[in-house]
Amino acid sequence: MEERGRAEASREELERLIDGGTPYKFAVASQVPMPPTRNPRSAIHAKSPITEEVGEEDVGMEEVSVAIDRQQPPWLNGVELLEDAKWNKHVLPTGCEGIDILLGGGLREGQLTEIVGPSSSGKTQVCLCSALGVADLNLGVVLFLDTCNSFSSHRIAHMVNSQSDTLVKEGKEGRLKRIMSSILCHSVFDIFELMDVLHQLECKLKHQVKSSGNRIRLLIVDSISSLITPILGGKNSQGRLMMITTGILLKKIANEYNLSVLVTNHMVGGEGGSLKPALGESWKNIPHVRLVLSRDQGSNICNVSILKHTIIASGRAAKFVIDN
Amino acid sequence: MPDADDPRAWIHGDESAKAMLARVLTERSFLLLPPLHRLPLRVGNVVEIAGPSPSAKSQVLLQAAVHCILPREWRGIRFGGLERMVIYFDLDCRFDVLRLSQILKHRIKEVLGSTNNFGHGVEEGSQEYDDKVASMYSFDDELLLACMRRFLYIRCYDSYEFIAALKTMHSRAQTESEALGVGIQFLLIDSIGAFYWIDRASQPSPYGNCMRKIMSFQNLMETIVQEMRKFLEVQPLLVLASKACIFFAGSSTTNVQRTVTTWTSEDRKQWRTSNKEIEKFLYREYMPSAWQAFVTHRIHLQVSDKCTCDKKNGTLPIYMSEWVQPPLNVKDQFAVGDGGIFMIT
Repeated sequence: MEERGRAEASREELERLIDGGTPYKFAVASQVPMPPTRNPRSAIHAKSPITEEVGEEDVGMEEVSVAIDRQQPPWLNGVELLEDAKWNKHVLPTGCEGIDILLGGGLREGQLTEIVGPSSSGKTQVCLCSALGVADLNLGVVLFLDTCNSFSSHRIAHMVNSQSDTLVKEGKEGRLKRIMSSILCHSVFDIFELMDVLHQLECKLKHQVKSSGNRIRLLIVDSISSLITPILGGKNSQGRLMMITTGILLKKIANEYNLSVLVTNHMVGGEGGSLKPALGESWKNIPHVRLVLSRDQGSNICNVSILKHTIIASGRAAKFVIDN
Repeated sequence: MPDADDPRAWIHGDESAKAMLARVLTERSFLLLPPLHRLPLRVGNVVEIAGPSPSAKSQVLLQAAVHCILPREWRGIRFGGLERMVIYFDLDCRFDVLRLSQILKHRIKEVLGSTNNFGHGVEEGSQEYDDKVASMYSFDDELLLACMRRFLYIRCYDSYEFIAALKTMHSRAQTESEALGVGIQFLLIDSIGAFYWIDRASQPSPYGNCMRKIMSFQNLMETIVQEMRKFLEVQPLLVLASKACIFFAGSSTTNVQRTVTTWTSEDRKQWRTSNKEIEKFLYREYMPSAWQAFVTHRIHLQVSDKCTCDKKNGTLPIYMSEWVQPPLNVKDQFAVGDGGIFMIT
């Protein structure tokens, strides 16, 4: 009961984070060396393309082109992209050893990772685990968008209590409080609400680029398919429009504000009775990384394999243990 | 100027066909890059790379980018690249710069490894060896950065941003290529149909005057093609665009299977044609005619259920490619390793 209360409290935190400008209550120090957050869009604007040998009459033209440049997305060259990847796109551990090794460290910031799997294959467990991992290492705030009441602070508390070996410096209570306070949970029950929250989040992030201490590092949507499936189908393309818009918005938030997005998707029966990820062909082009989870009945060992990855060849697999 | 006294000089050619061909071929060389090697591609061509996800479309684009930005020669070592600039439009927002640098590093290492008489007379572990390794790494880095500077990237989140980017591309490309002293050769788009569902849904506004152009997908695509045509007139480029398949073949498969079971064993021909039907449905065209007319070459990619296995790369899925415009009845197989695409014969 007590943990539920905390989850409620963190909901208020979320609202405060989204609406008000009040500084975050539980300030956490970042352990990752953080250079001044550089918004790639502003980086280009800082560089004025006005050259010295511009004639008087060309000045007006130059001003126009500067104004146009400010309006449009920036052109970047490969070196700038590499710098951005090096300084702003870190890797967040998921806390599941098998997945971290498979992905070469964990979830990349700036990317959208999708976990697919049949029910009770450990999708929510991976989400909770990553939330816990990021909060525990003081990396930043985790925003958990819960679409089917899967978030359980009780389970997180249980996970914290079971990893007792690291509890040397701080008390159990203190650590739990610290972790819980950097996980914000928000219930979302339809796609419109989700888009609303995402727009608010984008707006909020746009105006607080400077503060790097307790910024949102991980955004979890568990599960995204339960919001999108009801609007798909039929001859009307409105559902697909909303699905793709949501996908692009998630990727935009991830890219521009350097946070990692983790979504879950269920599986449906395809041809010949084999299972395939839901949401269809168009959704396949949205995630950067797709992972498939599977678990044998009664066993606590999960198999994870890569369906798609930007660097790692698809088909590689690993195992990890989850506790019930 | 030919001599006015000798009219015969007027009809003498400037150069022989052979000389001209030799000149043109070196100036505007063909791109013969696997898996696009079956047809000679050159500037002015617009190639559409279509395939369902995953079919290594983006990898083909990255491979082309790496080929373009690598130098012809660097400090006496031949790399065989084009040493030109690339413009990359990321409409899917899934480009990973680390993958590009990974392929690039692989290529550089490969060339250095094959040409360097490394360790020749130098013992491993000795001071000299370490120095050589260190110098080689700094050498790598310098070359890598020089290559990456020739890669020009823009990310667009909707069609309007894409059009805006196309409109400003010329001035940006000019300043960039003047600064680096090399021209642009490739224009890569990943992927052209990314905003299909979004633009398709835009309805004509019920308010306002009817003189306003309706922002339909078709109209937007016409504008995009027009902008690209304009750019290509000033700056001849080879355009490579990937196109994702967005229709799922499953719904038609079940229909087809049903018809097959009712017609049963009568002829297997039916089955074969229905397989073609599935393929037709999978690659169903959804781009407006403006784009279709713009495309000069089209290749279909597909992942097969077979795998290749070797010590270096481990198990990798095999992809298949087939030219459909112009149609070639050859299917090539390739796989994607850490170092990029390699053909399977």
